[in-house]
Amino acid sequence: MNIGKGCFFCIVGPNGSGKSTLLRVISAALKPQEGDVCFDGRSINDIKHRSIARMVSFVPQNTSLEFDFKVSDVVLMGRYPYINKLKGETGKDFEIAEKAMEYTNTTHLKDRSFMELSGGERQRVILAQAFAQDTDILILDEPVSHLDLQHQVEILNLIKKMCVDRKLTAIAVLHDLNLASAYGDYIVMMKAGMIMRQGTPFETLTAAGIKEIFDTDVYVSVSPVGNKPYIYALTKPNIDKMGIRVHVICGGGSGSDIISRLCSEGFDLSSGVLAIGDLDWKISKENNMQIAEEVPFVGISGEAYARNKELAMAADAIVLTGLYLGKSNLKNLELLLEKDMEGKPLFILEDDSFAARDYTNGTACRLYERIKSRNNSILTDSKALKEEIIKAVETHGESKE
Amino acid sequence: MGKVKNRNWLVLVFLIASLVLSLIFAASTGAVKISTTEIIEILTKGADTVNASILMDIRLPRVLLAAVLGAGLAAVGGVMQAIFKNPLVDSYTLGMSSGAALGAVISIITGLNARIFGMETTGIFAFMGAVLTLFFVYSLAYTRNRMSINSLLLAGVAVSYFLASVISFLMMLNHDKIEHIVFWTMGSLSMATWNELFISAVIIIPSLAVLMYYTRELNILMMGEDAAHHLGINTFALKNVLLITCALVVGSVVSTGGTIAFLGLVAPHIIRLIIGSDNKSVIPYSALLGSILLVLADTAGRMLIQPAEIPVGVMTSIMGGPFFIFLLRSQKAGRQG
Repeated sequence: MNIGKGCFFCIVGPNGSGKSTLLRVISAALKPQEGDVCFDGRSINDIKHRSIARMVSFVPQNTSLEFDFKVSDVVLMGRYPYINKLKGETGKDFEIAEKAMEYTNTTHLKDRSFMELSGGERQRVILAQAFAQDTDILILDEPVSHLDLQHQVEILNLIKKMCVDRKLTAIAVLHDLNLASAYGDYIVMMKAGMIMRQGTPFETLTAAGIKEIFDTDVYVSVSPVGNKPYIYALTKPNIDKMGIRVHVICGGGSGSDIISRLCSEGFDLSSGVLAIGDLDWKISKENNMQIAEEVPFVGISGEAYARNKELAMAADAIVLTGLYLGKSNLKNLELLLEKDMEGKPLFILEDDSFAARDYTNGTACRLYERIKSRNNSILTDSKALKEEIIKAVETHGESKE
Repeated sequence: MGKVKNRNWLVLVFLIASLVLSLIFAASTGAVKISTTEIIEILTKGADTVNASILMDIRLPRVLLAAVLGAGLAAVGGVMQAIFKNPLVDSYTLGMSSGAALGAVISIITGLNARIFGMETTGIFAFMGAVLTLFFVYSLAYTRNRMSINSLLLAGVAVSYFLASVISFLMMLNHDKIEHIVFWTMGSLSMATWNELFISAVIIIPSLAVLMYYTRELNILMMGEDAAHHLGINTFALKNVLLITCALVVGSVVSTGGTIAFLGLVAPHIIRLIIGSDNKSVIPYSALLGSILLVLADTAGRMLIQPAEIPVGVMTSIMGGPFFIFLLRSQKAGRQG
C-alpha cells in the first residue's frame, strides 16, 4: 500500500478485518510482525516517538475523559511534540491552538469543560488538537461512527477541507460505504487482515467487490450528486413463505412498490410481461421472481404472451397495477379477458387515473372496463391487498372443493 | 485563562499558609501544651528545657513525618488516578498498601529487620511488597492487550482482602509480635524519629519531584493511551517510571507509617473540585493538602482519647470512608445525568 500526499484514504471492511490494527501499525502504536512502515523512505520504528507525533496525528472513534479539562487545554495538548519541557508552551503554541479552534469552529467552546460537550463537539475539539499538532498525516479510526448525520457530514467536510487546504493526507476507517465513496479519493478494502482491493471508489466499490468483502448483495448505482458510486443495501429479510402464488401485471415502475411489499409479506411472486431493463423488471430480478420478459419497444410477442399466461394460470391470484398502457403492452390486458382466466381472483389497484394512463386512444379503456365488470375482479388499494388476497384465496379454495 | 491562574495562586497561598498553621498547631498540642512563641524560641535559639526535648525529640519528627508521608500518599493517589483514568484508584484500592504491609510483616516475623546502610530492611520488604502487588494486580486486569479499569479495581480490592487475611493469619501464628504487626496494619506515626523522617524524606521528596516532572504527560495520558502515544509519548516507559516511583513512595510510607488509607483518594479529589483536573496543579496541590490532612489527622488521633492514641490509619479511614461513598454516588449521578 502506497500513500500519496493530500489524499483522503478510506479503509473499509467488515468488523475484525484488521482495519484498526492497520492504522495502529501505520502510526507505530503497534509493531508489525513482518514488513515495515516507511515515511519518506525511513522506517517508522527508527523514528523517535516525538518525531512521529510531528508527522502523524490520530483521531479515535470517541474520546472519553473522566476528568475535568478545559477545551483550550485539550487543544493545546496537540502542541506537546513541539514543547520544550522546561520552557513549557510559548506564545506561538497558544497562537496555533487558537487558530486550530477557529478552523474547527470550536473557539466558542474554549472555556467549556471537555466532559460536558456532545459527541460531535468533542470530535471537533479532537480535530482541533490534531490540527494544532500540525502533521502531514491524519489517521482517523471510525471518526464519525458515533455521530448523527449532521455531525458525520460536518466532521468529514472538515477533514476533507484540511486535505485540500493543508495538503494533509487523511487515512480513515469508515463504516459507511456511501460516506467512504463520497469522501474517499482512494479506497482500500480489507478482509481477514488482508488488503483485497484498492483503488478509486469506482474501481473498488462495485457490487462484486462489496460481495467479496462483506459477503452481502448490494445494488450499486451512481450518486446523482457528486458522481460517486452509491451503494444500496438490498433488504431481504428471511420471511416465512405463505405458499400463496401471486402474479403481478405491471411495468414502468408501477409494480415496484407492490412487489416489494408483497414479497416482504411472504407471498411467492411472478410478474409479466416486462420489458428487459424496466424498473419493475429489475426489482423482480432482485427478488428472484419468475418473469415473463420481452425486449423493450417491440411489443409483446406470442412467446412472451404465452409465458405470461402460464405464470398467471399457475398463480392463486393476479394483481393488476396502475401501469401505463400503450400499444406495446396492451396484450397484458387482453390476457385478463381470456376465458381461462375466469374464476381466478384478480385484484385491480384502482386509482381513477386510468384514462390518463391510456395511450391507445381508448382501446385500453374499453378493455379495462370489461375487465372490471367481470365477476372475478376485485377493486382494492395496495394497503388492503394482503388481507384481500388471503381472503380471496381461502374462499376460492373452498368453492373449488 | 488569567482568571483561573489567579484563583490557582490564591489556592496555593491558602494551602501553604494552612500547612504552616497546622504544623504549628500540631507541634503545640499534645499531652503537654507548648505555646507558639515557645516553639519559635526553641527553634531559633535552642533551649534545654523539658518542653524543648518533647518538641525536638518527639513531636517535631512526628509532625514533619506526617507532613512528608501525607504529601507522598496524596501525590501518588493523584498520579495513579490520572494514569488509570479513574477517580477511584489509589495505592489502597489497588492493593499496594496491603502488599507493602505484608512485606513489612514478613520482615518482622522472620526477624529480617536488620539495618543496611541505615535503612531498615522492613522498608525494603515493604517496597518489594508494594511493587509485586501492583504488578500482580496489573497483570490480573490486563488481558488480551486491553486493560479494563473495572477489573483493575476489582482485582485490587480482591488482592487487598486476600493480603489482609494473610496478614491476620500471620498475626495469629505470631502472638508475640502482634503489637508490632498491628502497628503496620492500622497505620501509626507514634514511632517517628529523626532518623525515620530523614529516610522517608530522602526517598519521598525526590520521588515527588519525579512525579511533578511528568505532570504534563499525565494530562495527556488522561486522554487515553492511544491518544498519548499519538502525541508522542512513550506510554509504556512513562507508565513504568511513574508506577515504580509510586511504588517507591508507597513502600516508604508503609515502612515508616503502616497502611494509611483513603488519603491518596481524598486529597486529589478535593483539589480537583476546586481547581479542575490540570495535573500541573493537581499533583503539587494534592501533596500540600495531603500533608495538611495527615498532620491534622495524626494530631486528632493523639488528642481525642488521651492518654491513649487512635492510630492515624484509623483516623484517615474514618474521614475517608464516607467521602469515598460520596464520590461513588456522585460519579453514578454524573453518569446518569
